[in-house]
Amino acid sequence: MVSSFCWSCLTRLPTASPRPMLPPTLTAQRVAAFHTSSPLMAMPPKKKAPGQQQGPKHRTATTFKMKKRKATDRVRPPPVGERRALRKRIVLSNPNALEVADMQDISAENMVDSRLRGSILGLPVPMLDQLRAVQAFKPKQGWSIFRRPGTVTRRETLELGRLIDGISDKPEDKGKVVKRIVTGPRGTGKTVHLLQAMSMAFTKEWVVVTVPECQDLVLANTSYAPLSEKNPNVYVQNQATAALLSRTVTANQKVLSKLKVSREHPALKSPLKRDTTLEALANLGIQDPASAWPVFQALWTELTATSPAPGFEKDFASRPPMLVAVDGLAHWMKETKYRTAKYELIHAHDLVFVQHFLSLLKPGNNQQSVLPNGGILLYATSASNSPSIYSLDVALERVAARQNRVYPSSPDYPMPTAFSHPDERVLAAFESPKSSVPTEGTLTLQTLAGISREEARGFMEYFARSGLLRQQVSEEWVNEKWTLAGGGVIGELEKLGRRLTVPVQV
Amino acid sequence: MPPRLNLFTARAVPALCQPSTAAARRSIATIWNANRPSTTNGVKSGLSASAQMTKRWNSSGSDGKEKSEGFKGPTEDPLPHVSEEAAEVSKIMDKRCDGGVSSPELEQGTPISEILQRDKNAQKHAPKVMQDQMKNQSGKRSFSTSARRMQPELEKSADFDDASAALVANMVSQVNAQAAELHPGLKFDAPSKPLGKTDNFRSRYDGLLEQLTKQLMRDGKLSRAYKDMSFILDHLRTSPPPNRNPRRPLLPGPPNAQLPLNPLLYLTLIIDSVAPLVKIRQQKGIAGGGAAVQIPVPLALRQRRRTAIRWIIDASDKRRDSNFAMRVAQELVSVAEGRSGAWDRREMVHKLGVAGRSNLGYLMNRR
Repeated sequence: MVSSFCWSCLTRLPTASPRPMLPPTLTAQRVAAFHTSSPLMAMPPKKKAPGQQQGPKHRTATTFKMKKRKATDRVRPPPVGERRALRKRIVLSNPNALEVADMQDISAENMVDSRLRGSILGLPVPMLDQLRAVQAFKPKQGWSIFRRPGTVTRRETLELGRLIDGISDKPEDKGKVVKRIVTGPRGTGKTVHLLQAMSMAFTKEWVVVTVPECQDLVLANTSYAPLSEKNPNVYVQNQATAALLSRTVTANQKVLSKLKVSREHPALKSPLKRDTTLEALANLGIQDPASAWPVFQALWTELTATSPAPGFEKDFASRPPMLVAVDGLAHWMKETKYRTAKYELIHAHDLVFVQHFLSLLKPGNNQQSVLPNGGILLYATSASNSPSIYSLDVALERVAARQNRVYPSSPDYPMPTAFSHPDERVLAAFESPKSSVPTEGTLTLQTLAGISREEARGFMEYFARSGLLRQQVSEEWVNEKWTLAGGGVIGELEKLGRRLTVPVQV
Repeated sequence: MPPRLNLFTARAVPALCQPSTAAARRSIATIWNANRPSTTNGVKSGLSASAQMTKRWNSSGSDGKEKSEGFKGPTEDPLPHVSEEAAEVSKIMDKRCDGGVSSPELEQGTPISEILQRDKNAQKHAPKVMQDQMKNQSGKRSFSTSARRMQPELEKSADFDDASAALVANMVSQVNAQAAELHPGLKFDAPSKPLGKTDNFRSRYDGLLEQLTKQLMRDGKLSRAYKDMSFILDHLRTSPPPNRNPRRPLLPGPPNAQLPLNPLLYLTLIIDSVAPLVKIRQQKGIAGGGAAVQIPVPLALRQRRRTAIRWIIDASDKRRDSNFAMRVAQELVSVAEGRSGAWDRREMVHKLGVAGRSNLGYLMNRR
């Protein structure tokens, strides 16, 4: 059957519904519907040339930005001990300073010459090694600005010189023992007084034993141990004792190498040969610090010997006088930083080292003085590095009172105030009854104060002649500085001498 | 300074004229009194006493009435006072060459001390104050008045035989003493003007030292800075003399070897040598187009030094030493030897300054 419609007609039939009118698309994507590649692949817009766009535009607001300072990196800390060495460094010479022309060195002749009062006496160059060995110099004493070290000859110095000269040479003063505690305000020259005593003692070939800083023994910096099974409450410091032996040997090598042992020393580990010198004896303790304390005791016995034991007569030579100098005494009058096994603080008087040196202040026993060959004990306090110890103050007042013939029976004798709980051990350490030996003096107190105006003038002229002070040293100027220095306190005078003020315009 | 008192009061004149009269004797007596201190003395003497006397007269009724001017009616002139009448009589009876009156008591009144001297009874009933004064006539003076005793004229005046000369000396010393009283509290001479530079403790150090110290100060710790400063000066004193670099010379001064002994001069030479002459200011808006123009600006001395110190401290930060004062001291020595970075900065600034000289024209055109 044939359809009534022809195929062509069918194809021309109008559509049943009109084609929906879509709004023209706005996006390019819709327009380019047949593109399959991403529009991002198109060429990116060209950037403007660099340089024009950088930085804030003209007249646009900018926020304030603080520039951070770049921290300079400290590469590495200095090696261990370097800073300490720098702090403790002692410089004794300034090559830029002028040489003072007619400066004398201290010697056996001029240490008793009272005409030299107020002048500067230099320390001889060969002696400097000895003085360095006993650590007589302290870092902040101002030696470093002068050409060579020298000290002011003041009244106390001359008096000390006469004393040392008498003990060495005069027969009537032979075997005399002088015991002194040197005190005084800060900067009055206590440590330098000890230094002068050491230099004079070296001149006279004495044996010098020093404790340059008492604080080193109580700070818990060196090792300690109970002395023995029998004495568990007394402590020995082997390293410190070895250091003491080392100081003594280095400084007194010339004297000690001539002296031989005079008796057996059973406390030592091995028996000594007959011809052992005292230097070799001391070296035993330095090499083996564990035996340092017995060696020190043996050395002390030898140095204080007046006669040889039987069988040792051949090599015996009489022992020289001794100078014992201790600086910073107050640190030995309190509890240390050391602890017992029960973790209690150890008192300084329980250290055998300290005990030994404090026992010298007492009169000797067995009808002998503490230094039978004579000598001087100089124990100085410190005013700049000093703990405040009330008992020590009272004890020193008592020493001064006894010196002025105020005895304990007197009502004026200084007593600690009530409820102040003074340290009885400290008070007892300075109780020094009169010795039965006539040559042994009692403990006295020497208070240093400012130097006189004439001495101050000599000191200031020394500055000027060394080229450090560019000012005319007149009487009036010296008096002004003397007054400014608290009445001639020499440490303050030294500061004023090196200070650069505007010179007076005339 | 004119004296406060008239030297030649009426009392002095008769004494000079007739030393033998009673009045003159009295005034001689006052000379000796005047030499003694007047504070503890009961008797007011000398010129000060006569000054008081005039004052009293001016206020007293009898004398003032006499001098009052104006017309007086017949009833307004009563009989004078008895003592005045007696004075008139004696004036007529025993007249003097100078026209003065004979009796000192009438002329000036009687000092109470004289009455007391005559009258023992009055002495006994005198007020306690006066009795005390009479007893303690030789009392101690305070220390502050003792300087007068040292005056040689006063010591010598006791030796005068001639009373009139002594009187004149006395008056001169009185005036001197009064002039001295005008400066109370000064035991010694006043300081001479102008004061020296060191007399003020604020200016006892050199200006450059002060400036450097203040710039060394960190966290407001000035005394620490002073300590650092003294360390630096000691370092300059003790370090070896600098090897100078001929390309970067220090300002002319003493030879090298002498520098360390004068650390202040050494320091001044170092800092003044690296101090720049100009600074560069970036000025906008004068060339047009918003570009900044570098303009060299000259610096004053203090500004130059400040810049140099800042450069030196900045350069010292690169050093390894842990001690700040040590770093600065070493840097100062290296400046003296021409090695420091401060020299580079100075050269840079000077180069920019030379290049920027042409820009100074902009400034001129703008005006």
